[in-house]
Amino acid sequence: MFASALLLLSYVLLGIFLLAFVIRSVRLARLPVHLRWELAPVPHEKGKSHYGGSYLEEVNWWTRPRHKDHAAEAIYMLKEIVFLKALFEHNRKLWRLSFPFHFGLYLLVVAGGLVVIGGLASVVGVEMAGWGVLEGGLRLLAGVGYALGMLGALGLLFVRLTDDGMRNSTAPVTYINLLVLLAMFVTGLWTVLAVAGFTGHVMGFAGGLLRASVPTDLPGMVVAHLVFALLFLAYLPFTQMMHFVAKYFTYHKVRWDDEPVTAGSKLDLELKKLLNQPVTWAGPHVRADGKKTWVDIATDLERPQEDEE
Amino acid sequence: MTEGKTRNERKITARDMARRDLKVLDPIGPDELFPLPPPYDKAEEQPGWKELSEKAKANAVCTLDGIATTKLPSPRTPEEEKKYVDQFLEGLKKLLSRENNWEFLQPLTLSLEYCVGCQTCADACHVFMATDRRKEIYRPTYRSDVFRKLVKKYVKPGGQLLAPFTGADVELNWDTITRLYELAYRCHLCRRCAQTCPMGVDNGLIAHEIRKLFSQELGWAPRELHEKGTVLQLEVGSSTGMNPMVLKDNVEFIDEDMQDVTGFSADSPFDKEGAELLLIHNAGEILAWPENPGAFAIILNAAGMDWTLSSHEVGYDGVNYGLFYDDVQLARVAMTHVQIAKKLGVKKIVMGECGHQHKAMMAVADRILGSDAIPRESALTLLEEIVFSGKIEFDPSKNDFPVTLHDPCNIVRNLGIVEPQRRILRYLCPQYREMTPHGVHNYCCGGGSGFAVMSPFNFTDWRINVGSRVKFKQILDAFADQPGPEVKKYLCAPCSNCKGQLRDLLQYYGALERSGITYGGLVELIVNAMVDIKEPFIHWEIR
Repeated sequence: MFASALLLLSYVLLGIFLLAFVIRSVRLARLPVHLRWELAPVPHEKGKSHYGGSYLEEVNWWTRPRHKDHAAEAIYMLKEIVFLKALFEHNRKLWRLSFPFHFGLYLLVVAGGLVVIGGLASVVGVEMAGWGVLEGGLRLLAGVGYALGMLGALGLLFVRLTDDGMRNSTAPVTYINLLVLLAMFVTGLWTVLAVAGFTGHVMGFAGGLLRASVPTDLPGMVVAHLVFALLFLAYLPFTQMMHFVAKYFTYHKVRWDDEPVTAGSKLDLELKKLLNQPVTWAGPHVRADGKKTWVDIATDLERPQEDEE
Repeated sequence: MTEGKTRNERKITARDMARRDLKVLDPIGPDELFPLPPPYDKAEEQPGWKELSEKAKANAVCTLDGIATTKLPSPRTPEEEKKYVDQFLEGLKKLLSRENNWEFLQPLTLSLEYCVGCQTCADACHVFMATDRRKEIYRPTYRSDVFRKLVKKYVKPGGQLLAPFTGADVELNWDTITRLYELAYRCHLCRRCAQTCPMGVDNGLIAHEIRKLFSQELGWAPRELHEKGTVLQLEVGSSTGMNPMVLKDNVEFIDEDMQDVTGFSADSPFDKEGAELLLIHNAGEILAWPENPGAFAIILNAAGMDWTLSSHEVGYDGVNYGLFYDDVQLARVAMTHVQIAKKLGVKKIVMGECGHQHKAMMAVADRILGSDAIPRESALTLLEEIVFSGKIEFDPSKNDFPVTLHDPCNIVRNLGIVEPQRRILRYLCPQYREMTPHGVHNYCCGGGSGFAVMSPFNFTDWRINVGSRVKFKQILDAFADQPGPEVKKYLCAPCSNCKGQLRDLLQYYGALERSGITYGGLVELIVNAMVDIKEPFIHWEIR
């Protein structure tokens, strides 16, 4: 009965996470294409990005082939994701707290991924070679992840409470999010240290989710921590912590979107649709009536007509 | 009612924006700014700040920091106030809708929803820095937080209910909206803050969108940008008020004068059909800095370029103040520029030395103009090609005086045009030196986002003392090895609005007399270095 309830609860929470995650990500992706608002340096500018230059530095730039360095863009983003490059360069004091916090989370994500792979292996009946080493490694990975996360979260809470600027722009919900994460890190670390065979239990739980039958002998501490972690996962897509998805758009779709319009391109077609939408702004100079489109408004100059020649 | 208290007495928070018991939320004055280096460090030797008359106070809303940019309506009853507040709310909803704001909905949404309040931007903002990072209302996140909280509370479903949880504690009233309007004009939209934001959040964009809401929904915008800016430009032909006939007279006079001074042909062709390039200056150059269009004519003619100016209304003024406050006006001006170029049958439009013209035409309006628009390019790249083409002979020793470069934000940070102007300066100016920081990490001149042309009420005091403070220190530091007035120094600013601001700044502090610093564009230095010009082209004066 308890195992069934745990299974059902886990499915519901994972379902909420997946659904909300997809909806929120798609919502950002489906926002209309915007006017260009790029910001140097743009890393895909081959041979120029190191000083912030762009293709607009070339005479007759529209006649020249564009050489985009996608690898440089990926490397930039990798440095940003893994090492929090921007914070390191521009706000070192905060980076000292934020980096362990995020790196701890990354270690936990990696550990979680390995747990799922282990669970999957047990479902399909693959014998795990060197299980002892893997278990020890996973336990270490999770332990370090929880510890770093805990230290980072404590530090971030402290700095948000003591720094005037940060305190003023921190909403109550941000403190709640940090406290929830802190609780997850603390309970996780405690469980890792207190429960013998922690990794095996968690992997058993992951395998149980995949075969719709969770083990009945999970220790109470492990169950409590897993439920807490799943609750957090279900809550995450409704929070600002989705910034790891938003960053793709702020960087790739805004800062680095320097694509000029070319005839017949997908961008060209999309813009034509947007320009033909009606406008309802009420400012007197706009002269909108709810029927006139963006193009109508933009070409409505209301200037004295020139004499016909 | 009480006057707003000064720093250290209380900490201003976002919710204070709605306070009706404060005549001024957080007054700004010279004592709150970081000290400048000698000889500008003695406050008593600086010009005092303008005291607003009672009449001016009655006309302006000075409830934010005691400074005003615009004459706003004066509602006499609570009902009238409510009418404006309701309009603001309506505009807020439109700003967040696909139909009315597809232009910036995605970046706006991202910036509103994903700021984590890390304050990295605070150390990047020259306005906040000017107050030694003490003036909360100038903190880049302050304005954004106020706006964000209004969105959360009044637009998002369940906003009022969830307010204690989300921290949306700003009440919407007449004081909130008028203070927010003014606060949108305490940011230069330079986007240095956005450049450092780990999340990619753009506080400059939020300021831009707030301005747009007020303009496109309530019709509120600074007179210099709207009535005397885009409206005048579209009606008469130029935001300077110059019509085509006056334009031609002025250019003819400039051409003759330049020819006399340099001995080179400075004839500027008008409306030449099928020319290779249409050059569009900021029309302010023709009136305030005639040597700039004159120098352009000398260089283009000496290099044998096939070029033309337009005498069609709007076609001779590259200004597009719509970029700073109103997408509709931006589109109207940009589309007119392109239509004129199409009619002339030119192959490309070249932007003169005007930063916001560059950004408006080359990037922001690109997705409005359509795929068949005439291509646009920067004069800086064209000038680089000419200078290194061997078509003109130069003698760099003619420019053997200290030169530094101000990077216009709209050309450099916002478009990535960084090196062409530098390659020219390194070649032609033996004593060229960089500011710190420079290039895409430069600081705004203090005239950005239209401020250079705005001088209503007491706003000039703010834009010089606060807006330009960091830049002025940067300029002085760049020439710190030869600080005295006996060594003449040149501050190169290839942007009309930057030049306007720098002129006011240098005049305000008497920097020519006290430090020997003057300013000008890039083309002036190029012509000054030409082997065959008769007289020095650079004049050591400030005008």
